[in-house]
Amino acid sequence: MLARIAWRNVWRNKARSGVVIGSMIVGIWALAFGGGFMQSFLTGYIQSAIQHEISNGQIHHPEFDKDQNIKYSIHNPEKILTYLSQQKSVKKICERSIVNGMISSSRQATGVKIVGVDPEEEAQVTQLGSLVADGEYFPHVSHPVLIGEKLAEKLKVKAKSKVVLTFQDVHGNITAGRFRVAGILHAASLVINESSAFVLREDINQLLGIPDAVHEIAYTTTVGTDDLALSNQLTKMFPDEKTESWQELSPSLVFMQEWMGAILKILIVIIMLALAFGIINTMLMAVLERIRELGVLMALGMKRSRVFTMIMIETIFLSLVGGPLGLLAGYATVSYLGEKGIDLSNYSKGLEAIGYENILYPSLGLTDYSQIVIGVLITALLASIYPAWKAIQYDPVEAIHSL
Amino acid sequence: MATLIQATEVSKVYHKTTVPVNALNGVTLRIEEGEFTAIVGPSGCGKTTLLNILGGLDHPTQGKVEIDGTDITTMKDSDLIDFRLHTIGFVFQAYNLIPVLTAKENIEFIMLLQKKSKKEREIRAIELLTRMGMVDKANQRPGELSGGQQQRVAVARALASNPRFILADEPTANLDSTSASNLLDLMAEINREQKATFVFSTHDQRVMDKARRLVTLRDGAIISDITR
Repeated sequence: MLARIAWRNVWRNKARSGVVIGSMIVGIWALAFGGGFMQSFLTGYIQSAIQHEISNGQIHHPEFDKDQNIKYSIHNPEKILTYLSQQKSVKKICERSIVNGMISSSRQATGVKIVGVDPEEEAQVTQLGSLVADGEYFPHVSHPVLIGEKLAEKLKVKAKSKVVLTFQDVHGNITAGRFRVAGILHAASLVINESSAFVLREDINQLLGIPDAVHEIAYTTTVGTDDLALSNQLTKMFPDEKTESWQELSPSLVFMQEWMGAILKILIVIIMLALAFGIINTMLMAVLERIRELGVLMALGMKRSRVFTMIMIETIFLSLVGGPLGLLAGYATVSYLGEKGIDLSNYSKGLEAIGYENILYPSLGLTDYSQIVIGVLITALLASIYPAWKAIQYDPVEAIHSL
Repeated sequence: MATLIQATEVSKVYHKTTVPVNALNGVTLRIEEGEFTAIVGPSGCGKTTLLNILGGLDHPTQGKVEIDGTDITTMKDSDLIDFRLHTIGFVFQAYNLIPVLTAKENIEFIMLLQKKSKKEREIRAIELLTRMGMVDKANQRPGELSGGQQQRVAVARALASNPRFILADEPTANLDSTSASNLLDLMAEINREQKATFVFSTHDQRVMDKARRLVTLRDGAIISDITR
């Protein structure tokens, strides 16, 4: 009956309870939507980096990272490729040759990272082909090169223009090759957009004078793979090479992930605090206007602990009504926008400048929803302590004779 | 008849302002089982204070109160709550029913606190509502009942716990004369039929006329005690 009294008390003042429930709904919705939006920002950025740039993991010669000297090629790439292809968690693999050099057009010249790829493998790992905005993805022409939009703009070249790539070969001699711009890439990644040139591996290896050299093996993994654990496993298997997961390759992404997590937590605390004050205010009013009734209950023989529990139950009931509705509203919004996306084209220049996609797809995991539910319940319970404590402070005699 | 309530040299001093107020001055009173006693006197004479102390709702500044030989003035608050629940029935001036419960639920509530079974609670609640002539209003909430009807439910609630005695503080103060008379007749009947002990405070002459014993207070002291 305690629960029955508490439930009916919740609906005694429908307007007041409605305001609290409404604030709960808005708070939880805002949390879910805010969380989903931030998550999409983060996931979009990380996924874009993993998909088009760094992959889930990479393997190099241990010295290669230091100055990207072409002589530091992977010792036994075939063995590594065979091992990787046998791993269930590894989805796709590609090999690359890498050299730093200059790219020049008839108008401009600039530093560039020249990446020699196998078009088919690369398309599967980094989906490079999907980034071609103008021209073609490695057509059957002599010495094709793909460059980013920004770089093309800087060099003042278009698809089919000619450019010259200059770099040092394996003997330290300056060598150059004439390439045709086969395609212009449109990518959120600044590295791809501004400072990379993708060529055929056979072309670059020939110019470098190291036909079979592999400087980088990149791989993607299946959903749910612990990339850090896999990279540790590969390090153990191939101690002569350096294997790094995306977290190790790009600590800034990890930092960003943690930073976003911290912002989300701050957001949660702010919303929960607002919610808590709303609950305290409402429940205190509910207690103050029922002083006499609470006094009667205690006079009749209701223990203070039961009165305390009754007020707590009332708050829980408020949360049980507001919580699921807010969660439902949040889930519906996140699901809908997760499907349709939030078009931020109006801010595309600014977003692209910092490496983000124009369209964001909010998403929130089950854990995030559970955290919100637990957060709301804890907040409601904590917020109800003070009004419940206040309720049992009254002396029954004084309470009964209060107005 | 056995002594049910024994108040000895009970005094109560309130310190609500800087000047102490003596609400009761050495009141000694014995109430036997089955009595129908009215504590009367003008406003501010200490009737409600005496009733609160006899009911264990308030502590005397001096003196002691024994119920069935148990000194309730030395009891801890938590023990007093239990004691009140099982020993005393209360009827308040302003009915004070729980507004969100129906008439039947209000009666059941006290038995729920006593941890009585659902079946037992229901049977007793219906029995009391029938006795009060209120069975047709069993599922109505206090807000849907008249003052007289609410006070009947309050009496039923007080009787529901099978208390040793019932304390009623100005039970007719908010009732019209017909409702007040009906309520008093009902209480007197219950007193006669069930030997239930009633102690009530009043300054209503109609109530005084029905009482078999009149204890008159003035300035916190008993000035007369008449049994008729």
